[in-house]
Amino acid sequence: MNEKTTIHNPVLSLNNIIKSYGPVQALKGVSFEVPEGSVFGILGPNGSGKTTLLSIILDVLKANKGNFLWFGHPGSSEQRQKIGSLLETPNFYHYLSAINNLKITQSISGRGTIEDIDEVLKKVRLYERRKSRFSSFSLGMKQRLAIAATLLGDPKVLVFDEPTNGLDPVGIAEIRQLIIELRNSGHTIIMASHLLDEVEKVCTHAAILRTGELLITGRVDEILVDDDVVELSASDLDALAAVLKQLNEHVVIDSQLNTVQAIFPKGTAKLDEINSFCFKQGVVLNHLILKKKRLEARFFELTNN
Amino acid sequence: MTHIIKTEWLKIKNYPAFWWVFGITALTYPGVNYLFLYVYRDITKQKSTAGQVLKALMGNPFSLPEGWRTMAFFSSFFIYIPAIVVIMLITNEYTYRTNRQNIIDGWSRKDFMTAKMIDVLLLAAIVTLLFTVVVLFIGLTNMENGAAGKWNLTYYIGLFFLQTFSQLSIAFTVGMLLRKAFIALAIFTFYSVIVEPIAVNVLHYKYNNEIGKFFPMEISDRLLTKPLFLGRIDEAAYQQSIDAVKYHVVYSICLLILTWAFCFWLNNRRDL
Repeated sequence: MNEKTTIHNPVLSLNNIIKSYGPVQALKGVSFEVPEGSVFGILGPNGSGKTTLLSIILDVLKANKGNFLWFGHPGSSEQRQKIGSLLETPNFYHYLSAINNLKITQSISGRGTIEDIDEVLKKVRLYERRKSRFSSFSLGMKQRLAIAATLLGDPKVLVFDEPTNGLDPVGIAEIRQLIIELRNSGHTIIMASHLLDEVEKVCTHAAILRTGELLITGRVDEILVDDDVVELSASDLDALAAVLKQLNEHVVIDSQLNTVQAIFPKGTAKLDEINSFCFKQGVVLNHLILKKKRLEARFFELTNN
Repeated sequence: MTHIIKTEWLKIKNYPAFWWVFGITALTYPGVNYLFLYVYRDITKQKSTAGQVLKALMGNPFSLPEGWRTMAFFSSFFIYIPAIVVIMLITNEYTYRTNRQNIIDGWSRKDFMTAKMIDVLLLAAIVTLLFTVVVLFIGLTNMENGAAGKWNLTYYIGLFFLQTFSQLSIAFTVGMLLRKAFIALAIFTFYSVIVEPIAVNVLHYKYNNEIGKFFPMEISDRLLTKPLFLGRIDEAAYQQSIDAVKYHVVYSICLLILTWAFCFWLNNRRDL
């Protein structure tokens, strides 16, 4: 499955990107578009080509075939200067302090001012350690410094590769909140992650890769809603399940949650009709919702894991 | 261009290891030349016949103008000291993966290589400045036979710069290819101090083959001829080596262009 939707004025367009490492084909003709203002998650198991894809759009790797456009133009250094990017691991000069490393980022990218450096360090809670050498930082602190570097000058587009790598639960929650704030203020964020929960919570759009192939791309709610999952409850779950089986064969009792789940083909579950049918059959519902399939389940389904 | 130089300055200005090696480099050039000066003084102050014959034969190689040639020759032995700085500057980028971060942050690959070329160029200029100051100081304090013609051989400043830039560029290429500081330095030193001189001499003496003069270090080694007193051993050969300098200027410039063209091409081509 390789779905592609055309978006007006996409921030990023990928067109048939192919990349090989010797005999191994890391990307097999990947094409998709990232709409402006979206939080675009790139998902896939290890080795699916997520980092390779981000490396190509940031000119760290050269694609064997295909092309990509940033804001409708071929990638260039001038465009990269406007994008805050964290790729794979935080890469800084080990002998320099946090503040001196960010001065280099500022000098190369031209984003922000020297005064802005203090602000971004405060944002990621590294201000107190601004004069410490990078080599003395923990993994989480290094990751936060890399995120601070991306935020310099408040770029409208950010690229994050596994942004919560090495962070503790509080750090993860903070970065998630930061991404939501950035999304709400109109930033476009392209984010590779294998943490599905993270993507489900913050992403508006996603692309799922498996061994270099694009399996699906689109809005997260569209990707998730493959089947209609209806969750119901009543005082007698067995009676409810029996009634529902008259409508649909796929009925499962979840005794832990005290609910019954009925799965209908996409777009066919009509909650008012189900409610009415159950009532006519003598079962009074006390809970009825149409649920999205969890991204995790959808991901495993698509990647056959 | 200014922002590239500013960025490179930000990288090194708070780098203690750089300043240590730079300090050692700065001490090496006066140190080496003073060492040879003291050896010369020690030999020539002997009242013995041998000492006096040597003095007559050598003249004063540290007096100007001959000092330009003598000290350029001795100073050129220690190219591997500034080569440490050059290799450190490039291999650090690979060790810390900051070469890719610089690109991600908005430099083009050409910007990155231009920055590195400027580093090597500036280091060669600083070493040349140091050489000039040392020659002026030692030369002017050891003047003999008045000041006549003391600026005659000042073109050795240019030749010294060309040799330093050329050989540091080769050190840079080795660092860029091998990416590991220790291995790059070991191979550069082993090649320039052991392999190439042996190969050049074996080819010359055993096979009567002059191809060695086109070897990467030898091309620019021949820019700086031996001091005059050593040339007296075989005056015809010495004159030949002086006459060949102008050709080696051209060869060295060609090699420099090829070296940097290769570095830019490689950096542009390979994945980071």
